[in-house]
Amino acid sequence: MEYSAIILAGGAGTRMKQASPKQFLLLAGKPMFMHTLERLEKISSIKEIILVSVPQYRELLAANIDAYMLQKKYLIVDGGESRQQSVLNGILAASQDNVIIHEAARPFVTTDEFQALIDEPCEDAIYGADIPFTVLLKKNGFISNILERSELLNVQLPQKFGRQPILDVHQRAAAEGKRFTEDASMLYYYTGREIKILPGSHCNIKVTEPIDLILGEFIYKEYIIGRD
Amino acid sequence: MTCVITGAGSGIGRATAVEMSRRADYDTLVLIGRHSETLAETKICLENKKKIILKAFDLTDFGAIPILVQDIFMECENIQCLLNIAGYTEPQALLTTSLENMKTTFEVNVFAPFVLIRECVRFMRLNDRPSKILNVASTAGVTARPGWLSYASSKAALVSLSQTLSEELAEYRIKVYCVSPGRCATALRKKLAPDEDQTVIMQPDEVGRIICDLVSNDEYCLDGQNIIIRKK
Repeated sequence: MEYSAIILAGGAGTRMKQASPKQFLLLAGKPMFMHTLERLEKISSIKEIILVSVPQYRELLAANIDAYMLQKKYLIVDGGESRQQSVLNGILAASQDNVIIHEAARPFVTTDEFQALIDEPCEDAIYGADIPFTVLLKKNGFISNILERSELLNVQLPQKFGRQPILDVHQRAAAEGKRFTEDASMLYYYTGREIKILPGSHCNIKVTEPIDLILGEFIYKEYIIGRD
Repeated sequence: MTCVITGAGSGIGRATAVEMSRRADYDTLVLIGRHSETLAETKICLENKKKIILKAFDLTDFGAIPILVQDIFMECENIQCLLNIAGYTEPQALLTTSLENMKTTFEVNVFAPFVLIRECVRFMRLNDRPSKILNVASTAGVTARPGWLSYASSKAALVSLSQTLSEELAEYRIKVYCVSPGRCATALRKKLAPDEDQTVIMQPDEVGRIICDLVSNDEYCLDGQNIIIRKK
């Protein structure tokens, strides 16, 4: 099977308190989004990579792709007003029958982990990790209920889906004005399809706050170097 | 496997090329130097077992380095090792050190290695086996050397460049080494210490042997640090 990889690289990075959006911040000396792109370059079944970004970063993205001499087919498409709209724009641009959705702000996914997702026989699959802490429900500043931790899942990216099913549910959600925080939830909500959960790594953090970049340097040295 | 050596027309560069020609690690040596005559003299000294390519090239022609590296890659089909050995010095006291002196010294000792590394890394990333880069700095780069301002500060920059890249390039399995020879009997050293008896100090072939040891296929532990080479 062949894939289009959709990489969300359009964040403004306001929470990082940096002049550059976080996908361009240097992690171990390399722009954050480039960590992901270089690993995807090694995977033969990925036929194109679609970068979803805001228009003002098109040139910078293209310059980096050129500087790192990336070889795959790259498309840069504009993001939408929400994450959901950005993913939909990426899906619409995809030409392959299957898509992998990932975020530039998750640079600690190894080539082997991308490959394992592709090798998973189930058409729709995601990475997910156990939740190592207690989660409760709240209401008006008070605890309102408890949750069974063993039944909860920390949903991660990357995720893979058949292009048409995920496009269908995105268009339906758009028509209904319904919002989802990520795509596996949307697909499950509308179709109830079997979505396989692959065991995710706790190193697959999303770089969101300034401290994440500092933690990320450690994760890079200890988890990434020597594995890829 | 191809090893590119700069400064191969004399001194440590020539001695390293000679030693490398005796070893089995690399089957192609690309020798870069400013003058075709001195490169040809180096070639005569080599053991005749490897493919030898001579490139007469001025490393301060930065704009042409990408084409030089691309040509090497096209001709050899790989670049496995880069040895930045070429060096320059024009020792002067602060008040007589011109900006031109500073610029030329940094161009040869820092900017040229930087551009060469950048261009070679584009191809080294594609190698199946770990690649190696070695930069020849100097003990002058880590201790105060009055009168050698431009040279000493440029070598300090090369030490820092090496250590930074050792970590930055680790994911590509590119090992970056830095050696800092002490007093060594070369023409460059003669400019720094004209009255010195060069027969009693470290010889270029002694440094060349250590460089070849470091970039051999068996060495994977000594990258990322500044290795002092000094004869006691």
